[in-house]
Amino acid sequence: MSDTAPVAPLQHGTELNAVYAIARIVAETYDTEAGLDAIFRLARTIFIFDVAALYIQNEDTRELEPAYARALGRGRSQEADLAWGEPAAAEAFRSGETILRKEDRGPGVPGRERRRDYLGLPLMVGGRCVGGLVFGRFGGPPFPPEHIRLAEFVAWHVGQLLETRRLSTRIATLEAQRELARMQDEFIATISHELRTPLGFIKGYVTTLLREDATWDGSTRAEFLHIIDEEAERLRELIDNLLDSSRLETGALRMTLEPARITGTIRDAAARVLSVAPEMPLTLEVPDTLPTLLIDAARIAQVLDNLLGNAHKYAPGSPVTVRAIDQGDSVRVEVRDSGPGIPAEHQPQLFQRFYRVQTGNRTVRGTGLGLYICRKIVEAHGGEIGIESQAGQGTSFYFVLPVGPPIPTEASQRSDNHE
Amino acid sequence: MSEVKTVLVVDDEPRYLRLMEVNLNTESYRVITAADGQQAIDRTAAEKPDLILLDVMMPVMDGFTACERIREFSAVPIIIITAKGEERDRVRGLDAGADDYIVKPFSAQELLARVRAVLRRAERQQASDFHQPVLTHHELTIDLPRALVTSTGREIALTATEYRLLQTLAASLGQVMTAEELLTTVWGPEYKDDKEILWVCLSRLRQKIEPDPKNPIHIVTRQGIGYLMPPEKPS
Repeated sequence: MSDTAPVAPLQHGTELNAVYAIARIVAETYDTEAGLDAIFRLARTIFIFDVAALYIQNEDTRELEPAYARALGRGRSQEADLAWGEPAAAEAFRSGETILRKEDRGPGVPGRERRRDYLGLPLMVGGRCVGGLVFGRFGGPPFPPEHIRLAEFVAWHVGQLLETRRLSTRIATLEAQRELARMQDEFIATISHELRTPLGFIKGYVTTLLREDATWDGSTRAEFLHIIDEEAERLRELIDNLLDSSRLETGALRMTLEPARITGTIRDAAARVLSVAPEMPLTLEVPDTLPTLLIDAARIAQVLDNLLGNAHKYAPGSPVTVRAIDQGDSVRVEVRDSGPGIPAEHQPQLFQRFYRVQTGNRTVRGTGLGLYICRKIVEAHGGEIGIESQAGQGTSFYFVLPVGPPIPTEASQRSDNHE
Repeated sequence: MSEVKTVLVVDDEPRYLRLMEVNLNTESYRVITAADGQQAIDRTAAEKPDLILLDVMMPVMDGFTACERIREFSAVPIIIITAKGEERDRVRGLDAGADDYIVKPFSAQELLARVRAVLRRAERQQASDFHQPVLTHHELTIDLPRALVTSTGREIALTATEYRLLQTLAASLGQVMTAEELLTTVWGPEYKDDKEILWVCLSRLRQKIEPDPKNPIHIVTRQGIGYLMPPEKPS
């Protein structure tokens, strides 16, 4: 401390408090903008400057870009003009050293605005220079050495704050990537299980029928063949879903939009689910007077099959109601069950590819593709799909299709360019 | 061979239970079933089956856990049924104390062949040990008539396969046996090339009988040749 300039006791205390407060902000804040505001406000209590600006190197273009500027003293009107401190910041960034620049804007500029002192400081993070910080003082006096030291202290802390932001952004990106990778891994595991299960039954029952050392009566043979047929059907459905999902992902799924009456589409879907699950207590509330829609009826049927199939799978035995409502400019279709419901925390991800609610009940089969496919199909019609559910109170899936020419979405547009 | 063997089939898929049941019935096995790991343990304790076919992926308690629990009180031969062909699953099953594994999808013939092989192994062991003496090797005692292995008087719980592996090596004291020989003798000729099953079983056996499994004295590896129980040097 012997080489520091003599300072008044009160100022020393203020400095210490400010320095301490700045260090704390860096350690505790994750909001970079608010953190910088607080740091510069505190810095201004320990040395005089009118403006502060921050330039950061863009990691892709390697160019220095203005990132932040505040006018705290004179020249507040110039806040928007980010270019004023750039030469000093750029020089500090290039050289890695503290830069002092003086500028006389000539007799045309009135008063204290005419003379400007710039203090450019490199922003060092872990031995790397990531940008430049510049303090400007209008109308002198120039920055004294003890202020330069304080400014260097501030610059170091600003660097840390930016590093924290860079790292937390990076962590968020990596976590998102990891989550996707995890979901894909889980998907692979699920899909290989889902593919093997029907295959296992087919192989097992076919080889049983092929045994030369055993004979089976007619009804047993029929039972086995029925199982083989059902499992082959399950395989076909799974493969269709996989192909649809990958086509939807690349935008290669063709939608053929034609005027159609959705009433018929809904009734057909209801008949299909009842043929598989005749015991399902299914109620239809579908008026005959619904407007004609421009839809791909086969794809909308797929959505309905999926929603009804889910109700059958996840709310077995529960009453199911399909309701269609004419909303004037759109038609809303709801599939409501009275099953266990879906907890709120799962609802936002339900329509994402590969997402599955972990129920602990492995006997309910699924791939995490069905609702994703539904969403993509509805969106390709310019509509929207959603869920209303409370744990223990049943689940209602709905989709809304616009009446009249649908707004072409990316998926439907791109599908026109393919095939 | 005259009495009817009971096979416990454990799977949460009714269609797999049915598949295994119809095929096992044609071979005159008595089939009992369980739909999860907990039921499997209960039925094993109550009905003492001669063999268990145990699926891995089940609700309530998975097959690996059930296998470990059953091993705490029974040496009954267990065949793990795994839907995943990955090596680590097979090894995990053997590690949990299973005698063999079968990978879904499997054919009816494969299922029946594995069941026959494992039952034959267990039976041969019981039959052949009757008039055998008691063998000792260092602190280890193999009481063949009683199929009992003790180490300094303390009983060691071995599975049927582990016991048979130890007994086979002890019967050829001082002679190196190749992996193929051991696999053929202990598991059966159809397992001749299944070295993995031998390695896992051997590793478990060493964990149980060797004072220091990293420096074995009872079962020694002759690198590139095979395994032997070395004769005790007079000290």
